[in-house]
Amino acid sequence: MLARRFLVILIHAVPEKVKHAFALILFPLLLAGALCAQQPETTVTLDARKLQELLGRIADLEQSQKQLLERVAQLEAQSGVHGPAVTSTPGQVASSSSSPSLVLAGGSPKGDQTKPAPGNGQQSDQSPMLGGTEHMDVSRTALNIRGFGDFGFYGGNQNGQTSSFSIGQTNLFITSDLSERVRFLTELVFEVHQNNSFQSDLERVLLEGSLNDYLKLSGGRYHTAIGYYNTAYHHSTWFQTATERPYIFEYEDEGGILPIHMVGVQASGQIPSGKLGLHYIAEVGNGRTSNPIAEPVQNYVDENGHKAFNAAIFARPDAVPGLQTGFSIYRDVLSAPDSPKIPETIIDAYAVLIRSRFEWLNEALMIRHAPAGQHVYETPAFYSQISERFGIYRPYLRYQYINASSHEPVFPQVGLRTGPSVGMRFDATESVAFKLQYDYTFLRRQGPIDGKSCVQLSMCAPSAAAVQVDFKF
Amino acid sequence: MSASGRAVILIIIIVISLALPRDQIAQAAPSTADARGNLSQSLAIVVNRSNPIDNLSFAELRKIFLGDRNHWSNGHRIAIAMLEYGQPERRAVLRLIYRMDEKAYQDYLLRGMFRGDVFVAPKTLTSPTIVRKFVFNAPGGIGYLRASDVDESVKVIRIDGLLPEDKGYRLQIDESSKGTDD
Repeated sequence: MLARRFLVILIHAVPEKVKHAFALILFPLLLAGALCAQQPETTVTLDARKLQELLGRIADLEQSQKQLLERVAQLEAQSGVHGPAVTSTPGQVASSSSSPSLVLAGGSPKGDQTKPAPGNGQQSDQSPMLGGTEHMDVSRTALNIRGFGDFGFYGGNQNGQTSSFSIGQTNLFITSDLSERVRFLTELVFEVHQNNSFQSDLERVLLEGSLNDYLKLSGGRYHTAIGYYNTAYHHSTWFQTATERPYIFEYEDEGGILPIHMVGVQASGQIPSGKLGLHYIAEVGNGRTSNPIAEPVQNYVDENGHKAFNAAIFARPDAVPGLQTGFSIYRDVLSAPDSPKIPETIIDAYAVLIRSRFEWLNEALMIRHAPAGQHVYETPAFYSQISERFGIYRPYLRYQYINASSHEPVFPQVGLRTGPSVGMRFDATESVAFKLQYDYTFLRRQGPIDGKSCVQLSMCAPSAAAVQVDFKF
Repeated sequence: MSASGRAVILIIIIVISLALPRDQIAQAAPSTADARGNLSQSLAIVVNRSNPIDNLSFAELRKIFLGDRNHWSNGHRIAIAMLEYGQPERRAVLRLIYRMDEKAYQDYLLRGMFRGDVFVAPKTLTSPTIVRKFVFNAPGGIGYLRASDVDESVKVIRIDGLLPEDKGYRLQIDESSKGTDD
C-alpha cells in the first residue's frame, strides 16, 4: 500500500513528456505484468485442486473397475456362464458384512450389496443395504453362521467322579436379516450329557423386530432376562472368562435352579434418560415346569394357564464406561399335579464393570417359594468374579454362594454350596483359547449320594480341576 | 535528481509494486497446499443427504458406531459403513471412536450380535467410492471418508459443531499408527 502511494507521488513529480513516453512503454509492461501476476494464481487453483480430484477419481474408477471385473468373474464362476453375457451393476462390488460370520451358499447376505445411484437421483426407502426390492433367491440362503465349541479334560475328588475327556457344547449361532427391522436368530447346540449320547437343541429361536431405539419386540425361545449373566453369556464358553457358568446360572438340564430359558414374547429398549443410559426388558412366557421329570422348558404346552413374567431395568451410565447395574424381578406360579401351587418370585440385582482389560462381575439374587399354607422358603445366592487381562493371559477369581433349605420344595438337593474358583484364560490365537481352572466347593445339606450323606462320605469339600479348549469358527 | 534517475527509481518502484501480488500468491500457495493436506488427514463423517441431522456430539457418534443407538430421528435404521481391514481411515475410527484395536473390535461386534446389543453388524466396504455409494443409497447410512474424498453425493455432518476443515476437529488420521492397532 505504501509503495503504491509513493508511486502516485512520484508520477506527479515526473515531467509531462517523460510521462507520456513512459506511459507508452509502461502500458505493455503493466499488461504483461498483470497477466503474469494473474496466471500463477489460476494455475495454482486449477492444478492443486482439479488435478488432485481428477487423479483421485481416476484411482477410484480404476479400483471400481478392477472390483467389477472380479465380481463378474465370480458371478461367471458361480453361474457357470462365461463370456460377455453376464452383466453386473456397478454398485454390486465387493462388500461384506463386518459381522465376523460365514455367509451360506456363496451369496453375500442381501444386505451386503450396494446398488448404484439411481439415474433420477431418487433414493430407495427399502433396506439400506439393498436400496431396492428384496427377493429371496431359492437357490441360496441368507444365513450368517458363527460356530463355537469347547473340549476339555475334567477331574475331581467327589465320590464317584472320574477324570474324563469331555466334548462340550458345539454351538451354531445363526442369524438372518429378514428386512431392515426384522431378523431371525437361533442357537443350534449339539451337546453330550452324562449318558454320553449326543443331543441337539434349539436353545434360542427368536424372531426380533426393532421398531426404534425404544422398542424391540421378540418372540420365541430366549434366555430369561434374570439378572446379568443369563443374557450376557449364552450357549458358548468362548465369551465367558471361566470354564463354566456360575452355579446359580447353570442350565436347567444340568441341574440349574433358575428358569434359564423361556418361551414367550419380549419387549426391550432404551428409556429416555440422557447420560444415565437406562434400558428396560419385559417378558411374558410359559415359565418352567414344576414336574421334576419333564422337560424343564415348556416349549410347546404350558402346564397351567398362568403365565410367567419378568421385568428388568438396567443402566449404562455415560460417566463410567463399562459399568452396568440393574435389577430384575421374575414371577410365576408352579402347579404340579396333586400338589399345592407354589408361587415363585426371583429377585436379582447386579453391578458389573467390563472394560477391555478389566472385568468385575457381582450379582446377587433371592429365590422365594411360598407354597399355599406352608413355610416360605427363601434361597439367597450370589457370585463375584474379577479378572484382568495381561496381554494374552487373563487370570481370574470367582467366589460363589448359594444356601437353600433341605426342605426347599423345588430344589431340595442343592443345600449349601460355597467356595472359590481360580483360573487362567490364555488366548492362544484369535480363535482358540485355553482355560485352566481349579474349584474348591464347600457343601452342606446335600442330598444323599449312594445312600450316604455328605458327612458319612467325609467329602463335604470336593475340589475339581479343568483344562478346557475353547474355539470359534 | 535527473529525469532519467527519477525514471529508474520509478521503474524499480513499479517492479516492486507489481511484484507484491506475486508475493501474496506465493504466500497463498503453500497455505492452500497445507489446507489440502489437512483435509486429506481429516476424517469426515458422512450421512445420506436426506438425513436431517447436521451435527452430532462425539458421545452420540460413539453410541452410533458402538450400536447403542440404532435409529435416526427420522425413524430410519442406522446402517454403518466400515472400510476394509487395514485401511488408515478404519484404523483411525477404531482408535478414535471405538477406542479398540482390530481384535477387540471384532470381539465386541461378535459379542454384541450374540447378546442382541448389536442388531445388525456394520457393512465392510472396499473403498471410499463404495462408501459414498452406500451412504448415497441408504437413507440411514453413515460412514467415514477422508475429507478430500467427500463429494456432493453425501452430506458431511459436524462433530461437536466442527467440520473437518475447522481447527480443533478431533477426527484426524494418524498415518504413523499404521499397523500398530491391528
